[in-house]
Formats: sequence, C-alpha cells, structure tokens
Amino acid sequence: MTAASTEVPTQSEVTSRRVWSYARATSSVFQGAVGSILIAFIVVVVVGEVLVGRQFSSAGNLSIIATSTAVPLLLGTASSFALLSGVVDLSIGSNAGLSAGVFTLLTLQHWNSWLAAGIVLLMGAAVGLINAVVVVRLGANTIAATLGMLTLLGALLYVVVGPSGSVTHLVKGLYTFVNQPLGSVTVIFVIILGLLAAAVYVATRSRFGRHCKAVGGDETAARRAGISVQRVRTATFLLSGVGAAVGGLLYAGQQGGATDSLGANLPFQVYAALMIGGYSIIRGGIGNPVGGALGIFVVAGVTDIIALKAFNTYYTDVLVGLLLIIAVLIDRARGGEVFE
Amino acid sequence: MGRHSSANESNLGVLEPTNPSLTTPPFTVKRKRVTLLSMPEHFQTALVLLAVWAVLVGATSLDKGYFLSGQTVIAVGFTMALVGVVAVAEALYGMSGARLDLAIPAELIFSAYVVTVLLAHRWNIFLVVVAALVAGGTWGLITGCIIVFGKVTPIIVTLATNLMGVAILEIAIKSEATMPVKSGLAQWGQGISGGLPNVFWVMAALVATSGFLLPRTRLGQHVIAVGGNPVAAKLRGVSLARTRFGVFIVSGVVVGLGGLLLAASVHSFVPADGSTYLLPGIAASLVAGVSLKGGTGNLWILFLSIGFLSTVPVSMSFFGLSDIWQQVPPGAILIVAVAIEGIRSRRAVR
Repeated sequence: MTAASTEVPTQSEVTSRRVWSYARATSSVFQGAVGSILIAFIVVVVVGEVLVGRQFSSAGNLSIIATSTAVPLLLGTASSFALLSGVVDLSIGSNAGLSAGVFTLLTLQHWNSWLAAGIVLLMGAAVGLINAVVVVRLGANTIAATLGMLTLLGALLYVVVGPSGSVTHLVKGLYTFVNQPLGSVTVIFVIILGLLAAAVYVATRSRFGRHCKAVGGDETAARRAGISVQRVRTATFLLSGVGAAVGGLLYAGQQGGATDSLGANLPFQVYAALMIGGYSIIRGGIGNPVGGALGIFVVAGVTDIIALKAFNTYYTDVLVGLLLIIAVLIDRARGGEVFE
Repeated sequence: MGRHSSANESNLGVLEPTNPSLTTPPFTVKRKRVTLLSMPEHFQTALVLLAVWAVLVGATSLDKGYFLSGQTVIAVGFTMALVGVVAVAEALYGMSGARLDLAIPAELIFSAYVVTVLLAHRWNIFLVVVAALVAGGTWGLITGCIIVFGKVTPIIVTLATNLMGVAILEIAIKSEATMPVKSGLAQWGQGISGGLPNVFWVMAALVATSGFLLPRTRLGQHVIAVGGNPVAAKLRGVSLARTRFGVFIVSGVVVGLGGLLLAASVHSFVPADGSTYLLPGIAASLVAGVSLKGGTGNLWILFLSIGFLSTVPVSMSFFGLSDIWQQVPPGAILIVAVAIEGIRSRRAVR
C-alpha cells in the first residue's frame, strides 16, 4: 500500500498539472482560425478608435453594441455546436422571430408569461426535433431542409402577426430583466457571456464537445469509435432550436413585440459571422465558440463604425461579404474543403 | 438521363415492360413487387407529382367548379414565371454538383436594374434584352472566377456575393427602380395571352429548351458527368474548370432572363424583391427530383413541379384560406421534398 501511494502525485502536483492543462487548452483556443479572427477584431477596434475617435469606446456606444449583439451572440453560441457536428440550422432566424411573435400573442391574450415562455421553449425544441428527424434520420440535405424550415416558420410568423404586420405587448418583468443595466452593458449580456464561457468549456473540454467535433470531422471514424452520430446531431439541433426560442424571448423583451419579418435575415448574418470566426457551414469539426463570438463582434464593430461615420449602412454587408470570402479562402488554405 | 440511375435500371424491365429499351435481365432471381418506390426516380417523381397535382386540381374544381379561371391564376402565373426561371438555374447548379446558388436574388435585381437603366436611356428593346442576358452571364462569370480559381464552395461564395450584391444594388438604386410605363417591353411584359401572362410562356419555352438541350449538348452531358462524379469525369478527360464556368455562365444568363421578365412584368421594384423567388425556385427544382448531390435530374419534370407549386396557392385561396397562409406551403413542401431526396440517396448508397 505504501509503495503504491508514493506513485500517486501529491495534491500540489495534481493542481499544477491541472492548471497547466487548462493553460494549454486556453492557449490552443487562440491558435489557428481564432488567431486570425483575433487579428481582425483588433484591426476593427483600432480602425474604430482612429476613424471614430473617443466616441467608439464610450460607454454609450459599448451599450449599443452589447444590445445589438445579445441575440446574435446567444443564437450563434447555441447553433455553433450544430456547425461543429457537421450540420447547419438555418431555421434559427425565423424560429426566434416566431417565438417572439407567439410569446407576444399569448401574453397579449392574458396568458401567464411563464407559461407562454414555456410553450415557446417547447416549440423551439419541437422545431429542433423536426429538423433532426428530417436531416439526421431521413438524410435530407441540411442546408435545403433548414432553409425550408426557415421559410415555413417565417410564413407562420406572418400568420401569427396578422395583417397589421406587427404585434406589440410589453411584458413588464421581461422588459425590465432584459434591459437591466450593469455598468455600460446589460445583465443579460453578461449572462450571455457566461453562457459563451460555458460553451467554450463544453466544446473544448467535455465529452459532448469532443463527440461533436469527432462526428463533424469524420463521420465514419466517429461511428467506428462507437459514437452515435445520430444522437449527437439530434442533440445539437435541439440545442440550436431551444437557443433560437430563448433568443426570440429576448427579442420580445428588447422590442416589446414582433414584426412579420423578424429574424428572417438573422441566420445569414449569424452564420456569416461564425464563418468569419472560423466555423464552416459545409464541414464540421472546426471552429471554437471564442472565434464565433469574435466573428460576431467584428461584424457588429464594422456595423457600428459605419453607423457612427454616417456611411450608407449597406456598406456593412459589402464588407461582411468580402470578409466571408476571405475567411473561406483562409480556411481552404488551412486544409478546408477544396471545391473543384 | 439514363446513365446515372443505372442501379435502378436493372429492376426497370421487371417493373415497367412498356419501355422496350430496357428488357428483363434473364438472370433475375428475385421478382420484386411492382411498387412506386422500386421504379426509377424520374418516373416516381413525375407520377407522384402528376397524381398529387391531379388530386389537388380535381378536389378544388369539384368544390368550386371554376378552378382554372380568374385573376388568381394570372397572378400566380406572373409569380411562377420567375419561380420557373429560378428553378432552371438552381437545377443546373444542383445537377453540376454546385448544390445551391444563393445569390439569385441579387442577380435577378442586377439584370432587372440594367434593363430599367437602359430603357430610361431609350435603348432599342432588342439591345436591352441582349444586355440583360449579358449582365446575367457576366455575373455568372464573376461567380465562376471566385469559385473556380479560389476553389471554394459555391454555397458560401453565393451567400457572400448575394449579401454584397443586394447591398450594392441598394446603394445604387437608392429607393426603388421604376420601369418606363410606355416602353414596349413593359406593355408586353404585363400582357396576357392564352389565359396566362406573356412572361409565363417565356418561362415555359426556357424549361422546354433547357430540358431538350441538356442531354443533347456536350456541355449538358459534361454537367451531368461532373455533378455525378467529378473524379471519374476528370479521368475521362472532362475539364472540370471549363464545365464549371459553363454552368455558372449559362445559369447566369438564365437568371439574367429572369431579371428581364421581372423588370418587364412589374411597375417598380426594390432590391429586397429578389428574395421572393429564391426559395420557391429551390423548392421547384428539388420537388422535380434534382438531387443536391449532383448528377441527377430531369428538367422536363420542372413543368410538373412548377404546375403543382403554382396550383397550391390557387386552391388554398379557393378553399377560403386567407392570403396570409399563402406563404406556408413552399417551406413545408421544400422540407418534404428534401426529406424524400435524402431517403432516396441513402437507398442508392446501400
């Protein structure tokens, strides 16, 4: 017994080893694609400081950026696991929009707001499940199927919202919670950053994250290693469906209602940002929530600079499109899919 | 049409004796039951579509009796003209293995904008038509350059070019582009002949022409070969780059024609209008059996899928569902269509 116990590392050794392994994991987070998006992020910040001046880093502007990135950040984080596992959920945009619409409509008809929120979350999960059945079980093309879901949910939102084009109803508790300030940002933004940190842990350190990466990287190898590809991808679809529903509730809180086209363009913005941040919508196994979040901040920063300089806001889309093409070219240079 | 579905054709003789070119293999041991699912894909698709369509038309006209008449049909005809053109372009992309062209909204508006600008400068209508097609082809050429030289996936490239294209058009057009009312093109484009809009007949001619030419031209055969198996096609001496450029330019010209029809049939348009036609177009292409894995598809079936998809909103309104429900079916139909395609391609692998 005593001989065995000498081989067991002491408590301090265990701690230092653990610290080192976390440090390695943290530094590895910033290698590769995240490294280049970090450079892009720094460039955007520097350009902002130079072009806009002190206003760019003012508390007021930070709060604007925090408010505008809250929903994309939440949706991007939730649906990044789907990308990691090799599937895409384009339906998140209308899913969020429909959730906001249904929540507003139900509370408008004097439903209990907790019950309404529960129903909306269940709907989000149901959408995720349908996506999973169609794509994972039946083998449908993930982009086309979820594009169909995007349109279907968008059309249902149109029905829910009705001919007037918008429903409005302020749920006081939700409104105060969503807009509760904390320093120059909001409480909800800090909570989302916490979720992001949790997502980084799950994606890089947990079994689920490793399984997602394995399934997305090489489906056959993952299957041979005994990972249930279907189960992992179903879980990621559920996650992005529920994440979108939560995003919808946030929308309802931020805007006190929903319009008939709420969220229609969101998936393209979110996925463009995620791809700029190192994810890919055509191959899984790559990307990291930190990179995805930086991608969203880069896009938000560009949008903000263009708005503050009173340029035509459409220049944002031109720049995002260019960044997207550059990101894909960089990804291909790193060994991404070569299309011939 | 036949080459890529050879796995199914060995069963075909047993099931479909009416086709003389495909006889029963003498060594057939298992006699499968004649079921819809064991037939070759194009027949399945065509038959199912025809049946569903017939049921839809039958049910609606039994209920109301005056189904194929009235303003609704004409309104749907205008939309479907553009949806059909988009479907042809998407089908070409899909068959060639490029999956989806997400930039069609920007492309349509680009060519339509060229038309309005040139008409405002009093160009000859014939030259305007040519310019619209050239505009589409140029767009296709640029997309092709990015995809072929960058070797990056079309879906992402077209996502980016659509984002940029719509934004640039928004900047250029400012509010909305208007058609000169008195131009001959506008009067023709809003005209009706044979109970359907003139632009609808152009779309029909396009589907027929492309359906006829695809299996009969060198480019068409190369498209199918490259889409089905790029490695094998390359080994057989098919130039991948040249075929890709061919597909992107031809489908660009097709969308350019779509932009011309769009400009001709409306009084004014805004850049966001282009996205109306993208999803129904993709739906029409997939419902017609074009696989996103490439190499399969029959453009003639587009007639059935376009007909079916145009009938759905008409019968919905006849059954008294209000207009706000009309956007629901395309999404649902698209999901079902890709699910069926998924089941089929899994079956083909096994």
